[in-house]
Amino acid sequence: MMEDTRIGLYVCWCGTNIAKMVDVEQVAKELGDLPNVVLSKTYKYMCSDPGQDMIIQDIQENNLNRVVVAACSPRIHELTFRRALANAGLNPYMFQMANIREQVSWVHTDREEATKKAKSLIAGAISRVAYHEALEKRTVEIDPATLILGGGIAGMSAALEIADAGKQVYLVEKKAQLGGQLLQVDLTFPFMYSAQQLRQMIIEKVVQHPNIQVFNNQVVEEVNGYIGNFSTQIKNGKKKETELKFGNVIVATGLKAFDPQGIEAYAYGKFPNVITSLEFEKMLLKGKIQTKEGKVPKNIAIIHCVGSRNKDYHEYCSRTCCMTALKFANQLKSAIPDSNVYELYADMRSFGKGCEELYTKTSTKGVTFLMFDQQDKLPEVIKAGKNDGCEMLIQMDEKLSGEEVEIPADLIVLMVGMEAHEDAKKTGHSVGISLCGNSFYIEKHPKLDPVATTTDGVYIVGNCQGPKDIPDSICQAKAAAARILGTINKKQVEIEVTTAFANEELCCGCQTCVQVCPYTALSYEEEKNISVVNEALCKGCGTCGSACPCGAISSRHFTDKQILSQIEGLMEMILQEEISEN
Amino acid sequence: MSFNPKIVSFLCNWCSYTGADLAGTSRMKYASNIRIIRVMCSGRVEPTFVLKAFQQGADGVLICGCHPGDCHYHEGNYNCLRRFKLMQKFIDQMGIEKDRMKLKWISASEGKDFAKLVDQFTEEIREFGPCKVKEIVETLS
Repeated sequence: MMEDTRIGLYVCWCGTNIAKMVDVEQVAKELGDLPNVVLSKTYKYMCSDPGQDMIIQDIQENNLNRVVVAACSPRIHELTFRRALANAGLNPYMFQMANIREQVSWVHTDREEATKKAKSLIAGAISRVAYHEALEKRTVEIDPATLILGGGIAGMSAALEIADAGKQVYLVEKKAQLGGQLLQVDLTFPFMYSAQQLRQMIIEKVVQHPNIQVFNNQVVEEVNGYIGNFSTQIKNGKKKETELKFGNVIVATGLKAFDPQGIEAYAYGKFPNVITSLEFEKMLLKGKIQTKEGKVPKNIAIIHCVGSRNKDYHEYCSRTCCMTALKFANQLKSAIPDSNVYELYADMRSFGKGCEELYTKTSTKGVTFLMFDQQDKLPEVIKAGKNDGCEMLIQMDEKLSGEEVEIPADLIVLMVGMEAHEDAKKTGHSVGISLCGNSFYIEKHPKLDPVATTTDGVYIVGNCQGPKDIPDSICQAKAAAARILGTINKKQVEIEVTTAFANEELCCGCQTCVQVCPYTALSYEEEKNISVVNEALCKGCGTCGSACPCGAISSRHFTDKQILSQIEGLMEMILQEEISEN
Repeated sequence: MSFNPKIVSFLCNWCSYTGADLAGTSRMKYASNIRIIRVMCSGRVEPTFVLKAFQQGADGVLICGCHPGDCHYHEGNYNCLRRFKLMQKFIDQMGIEKDRMKLKWISASEGKDFAKLVDQFTEEIREFGPCKVKEIVETLS
């Protein structure tokens, strides 16, 4: 190496998150003695402005040319510290993070063992960072068009925001009609705005907008390319396929209603007057609340949390059903004033603007609220006897009174939760984003970056990211639109620099790399008998490098030398500790 | 002193490393023997990485990638799987028990499975006892 390696080591307390389980002072002191480490410090929150400023100042004052930060997961703050390095005038890739929070302090219980583990992970990082090389930013032009998957309220809101800013939008909807879930809703909670009016207003704008091209009855099978330069094939009516080009993608594919047929206690499908909340909305849309026999129901029971907050179905809360159920009670009471309305709930969740107020208001209207224990015993729907004066009975253990009660019912509405579409995984795969355990798409950062994904240029908005109501969906849609307009405005965007590169001298022309590359980024140049990398197509997985029999291909920032030295560094630290112990 | 296995692990950035992070954010507890090295894709794991780990004194090597069909790079995990089978044969011939190497699929949501896997693999390696590779190399040379 031309210049001396001068490493600065920074060990973060993360408040007590790390410091409680790892002796950060000891770690900083001992590892400060490792070769090439010029200085070593601890700080309460390294990611904070003062923390970053300290690093920047140290780099400048002590001529540091490498930095190791031992803190949280690099998935959270690697970029933060890379930026700090850049601000100090150092190449941002001369940096390595050691994950001593998610992989150490949060998962281990023995402080001594945890400290030892932290030391070895950091030693690996110190050893690795010595081999880091400066990588130069690469920028590409941004195609100003945007592809939006899903024409529900979220997708349409995003489309309008972008189109109003003068940029082209391709809006692809799986169904024949725009509108998504809104198509099936009568009034919205808590302020009772008409969903139909909302929908009509927004659909008209979308359809008439000169910058929005709508594709109904279409599904995008595969999106190729990378941020700024994506493309896909789409069927344009019955004509042949056309190619769409766009710089960003918004996924707004929503969720679907839970099917209650699997829950035996509710007898859905067995009794015709047990219906889902969506079927009840249909009645409301038609303006006629009646049983299958065409009678006006006298006793109506609304059962909450159907398929939600229950380990047997979905553990999560679907977030909108409690409020919709309260809305139903209000609509029932005004349509059939002398009816008896029963709300059978597990817990009432009425957060958000105007929602608790709706709950309070509803409870003054003579609606009977009955609580059941979701984890213990679900209410059971049975056929009523001849003398009961109604068609069905619901037997339940009422939690607050501690009594078994029987509720008469002519109509039972099941508040079905929301769940992922069957093709969520396929859609995710087509644009390179992943699903969480509930099959919702995973955001880049659950708190700090909730609409971006780990694939640059792909955003998730609305229900596909997790159940939410209309205002929240629209917030996300507009947030993603703002992000996209921001990148379009910059005209250029930085792309992956950690690509593969081939050494012509070493390449034997076997083309193994060409076969394993999933992006056709490698091609064979017959004249020279070598493989060449198209860096615009390369996404840096490194599969070619590990397949290359001659060691001709390396992955930038994940070179053999870097990884081998990391292994060496961390193993040597463990062995050293073992020796000193014995 | 009782035997404390040394385990080196290679996790792909997109699924398994995220899964391990989730185990952390969910405060799940697992054995502290594992040392994780992040690679972008399980397809990046070269035989030399594994051999290096054993050479440096590791008693076990754990590789985790995305589930089949879930690879961020489409098929890197399949390449890893093929290479893994070969590597197992190879280390076996060198006198290292082949099950000192393990390949498992861990998705970004499987923090719990990851924690369980680490505990389980640590116990398996504990059963094996210390890896004798150093002695073997010395005998050979």
